[in-house]
Parts: sequence; C-alpha cells; structure tokens
Amino acid sequence: MATEGKADSPQPQDRPSTAVKEGPAETRLAEKARGFFAEQPPPAIEIPPELLRYRTRRDVLLFGAGVLAALAGAGSLLPKETLGRLGLRRAMSSPGKEWLLNKALRIDDDVAEALYSVDRRVPTYSKSQITPLKNNYNGATPDPGYISNWKLTLEGLASGSNSAVDLRSLMNHFVVHEQITRLVCVEGWSAIAWWAGLRFDDLIRAYPPMPQAKWVRVESSVNLDASGRPDLYFVSLDLATARHPQTLLATQFNGQPLTVEHGAPLRLLVPVKLGLKNVKAITKLTYVVEEPTDYWVQRGYSHYDGI
Amino acid sequence: MLVVARHHFLVRLSHWLNVPIILGLILSGLSIYWASPIYQHKPNPSTGNFDVAADIGIWICTHVPGLQHYGSPPDWLYNHLSLGPGLLALALRLHWFCAYLLMLNGVLYGAGLVMGGGWRSLVPRRTDLLDALRMFRYYVWLPVAKLAHREWPHPTFDTKYNALQRSAYFSVPVAGSLSVATGWAIHKPMQLHWLAALFGGYDSARVWHFWLMSVYVLFVVPHVILVFADPWDTLRSMIVGWSRRVKRSGSIANGH
Repeated sequence: MATEGKADSPQPQDRPSTAVKEGPAETRLAEKARGFFAEQPPPAIEIPPELLRYRTRRDVLLFGAGVLAALAGAGSLLPKETLGRLGLRRAMSSPGKEWLLNKALRIDDDVAEALYSVDRRVPTYSKSQITPLKNNYNGATPDPGYISNWKLTLEGLASGSNSAVDLRSLMNHFVVHEQITRLVCVEGWSAIAWWAGLRFDDLIRAYPPMPQAKWVRVESSVNLDASGRPDLYFVSLDLATARHPQTLLATQFNGQPLTVEHGAPLRLLVPVKLGLKNVKAITKLTYVVEEPTDYWVQRGYSHYDGI
Repeated sequence: MLVVARHHFLVRLSHWLNVPIILGLILSGLSIYWASPIYQHKPNPSTGNFDVAADIGIWICTHVPGLQHYGSPPDWLYNHLSLGPGLLALALRLHWFCAYLLMLNGVLYGAGLVMGGGWRSLVPRRTDLLDALRMFRYYVWLPVAKLAHREWPHPTFDTKYNALQRSAYFSVPVAGSLSVATGWAIHKPMQLHWLAALFGGYDSARVWHFWLMSVYVLFVVPHVILVFADPWDTLRSMIVGWSRRVKRSGSIANGH
C-alpha cells in the first residue's frame, strides 16, 4: 500500500506576501514512499534563506507571545491562595475567571446530563462487598430528639395544598425496595452499603407534583454547622433523576432502621448523584418549575453532580 | 537552503499547549487528592494525621535544613506540588477546565500526526526494546566516559527518533489516553460503570488515574534535560517546524 505524490507538490500558499523579495519558491525534493507503515524519508525542502529567516522570526515571536499569554492566563485562572503562596498578592478575582471556570463546570454538567439515562441502572453489589460508611455529616450530628415528632412536608403539589406525612404512613403505604449500591463522595472516597426504602417515584405517583414542575428542592432543617448551630441543608434534584428506579427515600441502612448518623428517619439515596445530594434527615420536599438553589453551588461546586 | 519539515504545525501547537494544560491538571489533581488521599493509615493518636502525603511533608520539614520552622509541615507537599490544601471546589473546576482542553489538544495532536505523516515515526518496531536499552546504556555511561576522556560513540540510527525516544513519544499519548479514560471512569462511575470496571472498579480506577500522572513527570525530566543537551536545532524545530538535519545519521550497526 503506497501513498505517493502527496508531499511532492510545492506548497506556495503559506508564503508571506510582504517583507520577502520574490525568489524561487520553496521546492520539496522528490521522495518515494516505501510502505504505509514505513517511516518516510524526511521531506527535504529547498528554501531561500531570507524566507526561512522570516518564517523563523515569525514563529519564534508567536511562540514568545504564546508563552506570555499562558503566563497571563495562569495568573488569572489560578486561585488567589495559590498566587499568594507564589508571592503574587495582587487581587485577581476577575469576573472573567469565574465566568470561564463556571463555563467549564456547566459544559461538564451538560455532558453529565447527556450521558444520563433514566433506564440505565447503576451496578448493584452483594452483601459480602459492603464496606464501612462513616458519618459524613458536614457539621455536627443533630441531637436525635427531632425524630419523635418528625414529619415530611410536601409542597408544590398538583393538589395545590401542602401535605405532611409521618413515617408510619410512609411505611404503611409504600413498597419497600432494597438495594446494595455505591455512594460516591465528591472528595473521591466511596462506600458500598445496603439500603432499603420507598422509591421516590412511588411518592411522586402518590403525591403528584404540579404539572409544570421540573425540579424538586430537597431540604433538611435539622442540619447543623460545625459549631452546632442550625444550618439549613438544601439541594436541587431534577425530577428525571428523582424518578430513577434506584432513587430511594431510604429508611434502613445495612438491615437496620437508619441511625441519626445516617439521616434517620428518612434520607435521600440517589446513587446517580454525588453523595452531597443524598440529603440526610429530609424534612421538606418542594416541587418547583425553575431550578432551585443548592447548598453546594453557593460553595463553588457543580449544581448537577451527576455521576 | 536545504531543510527538512520535522514537526507539523498542529504537532508543535499541541506540544506546547500540553505544558500549561498538564501542569494545571497535576496541580489541581493533587489538590483534589488532598480531599481524600488514596494512601492513608490509621490516624496518628497525637496529631490525628492519616495521610501519607502529609507524613512526607512532615518528614521533609524535619530533615531538610532550613525547613524546621515551616508553618504547617503536613501541608508542605500540597503547598509545593498542588494549588494548595482546602481548595477542592476550585481545584475541581480548574481540573475539568484543563481536562476538556487536554482532550481537545489530543485531537489537535492526532490531526497533526496524520496531516504531517509524523505518526509513522512513532510506530513501535520489534527491535525497539533492544535498541532502547542500547540508548539507555549510552546515556548512563556517557558522564563516566566523558570524565575518563574515553571515546563513547552515540548509537547510530536512520530514523527520525532513536528507539528510546520513539518508545517515550509513543508512551506519552498512550498514557494520556489512559488518563482521560480513567478520568471519565472516576468522574462518571455510574453512567460509565463499564469503563470503571475495565480498570478494576471505581477505587482501582482512582489508583490508575493517580499513578498515570507519574508517567508525565518521569517523562518530562529527561525530556527537558536531553533537549538542552542536544544541539539547538532540536528545540528550535519544535518551535519553527524545520530542521537542518537533512541526513539521518546512518543505521544502528546490529545487522537488523
């Protein structure tokens, strides 16, 4: 298989129109291909010295401009903490930098959304593959006192009025599903755990959201910050993900009722999202038309977190 | 003047773009690593430290002269090899930004290799292993031979790259593709769980992704040393594209 002739023709199209006096065009010396995979002899070119000097100068200048642009780009994109450590203390919190990095995050979210399929199940595991799951409450763990009079409030329903359900009616009215799936944290660690609970989809069928709703805001009012003060925790979840058959409102963990550490009495288990969307101790679900705000978006993370 | 076209424009462009992109990926990648280190041990009862990278920082600060008074020894490694500790959200955004640029750059590089025909010079040959060892031996003994004023001839070859270069320049894009693949595997372990399974599952793909980084570091050190040890023509050709080395230097005298 031979590729002949392609490199033989002179290529005058990228010659500069100025600064170089007209001379003989560069000539590519004839060469012979020896085979498709065989290395070709170097394509030798006869070129007037001035033309070569001109192009070399042009390319070296372009390279220098590129280096300067890269340094400027790095200076504007790196976090100010990093620049500060390099001794560059100039405040560089330009809106352009935020725009660019958020754009990259947004593109990545769009890719995640394009990859998402409501029919695609996440891998499930056997009981022997279960791994320990630490209490990953971001702040202090709440006092269990809230559990006794816990109710789940539902807002944005098709009925137009709000509902409140307690755990007993949830347990009595819905089929409990079990699954052993992996929970992946944005930090990189993961854990395989055995969960049981009702399908979010079943709750949506029993308490239909208003027809225009595309999102659900999942919140926990019992969440605390590191010093133990109330710190409302809320995430956005698209309804397509809420309807995924493996998205549970979990009531059990490893065969036991949920403990406070793992979000008693009801937590969101959405294995197609990062752990930070898996809200513990849910107190309210609000169906909304527009994408609601998210605790972690306000802290610089993605709004979508599909994995 | 007689010159040869050595590197296609797109190959040169993507080569230099790799420098800030891969640097950005390593710096942000280690900041992400900080949030959940792969290499951990039981927490130290007095300090609470569990991160091997923090141990290394502490070791450096106790043993390297002048660092005894360093403010936060456990952060030393992260302060010097990453964007810094405690910057997960920022590091993730920067990592995705650079990761998409790296994939685009890979496309540019591939296009340059095809359009310039340079890919043929990267195809591994059956003789490469032996010839690469020969080159390696040459480099290892070169300083000794110089000091002893002994003649130590460079192995000859009639290809664009010697076997050691060829294996290195072939390995780096392979490692790049694997970095991208493992990156996707740990970024979307549910939608792309088959990809994670290919690397032994989610946790194992993280380990792959971490160690693939070392390929670039191990490559870049001799790469930069050798380009400066080589004639100026080598570095210049990656900027301007042409080289004055019209003749290739003969063949390796081994009867292949």
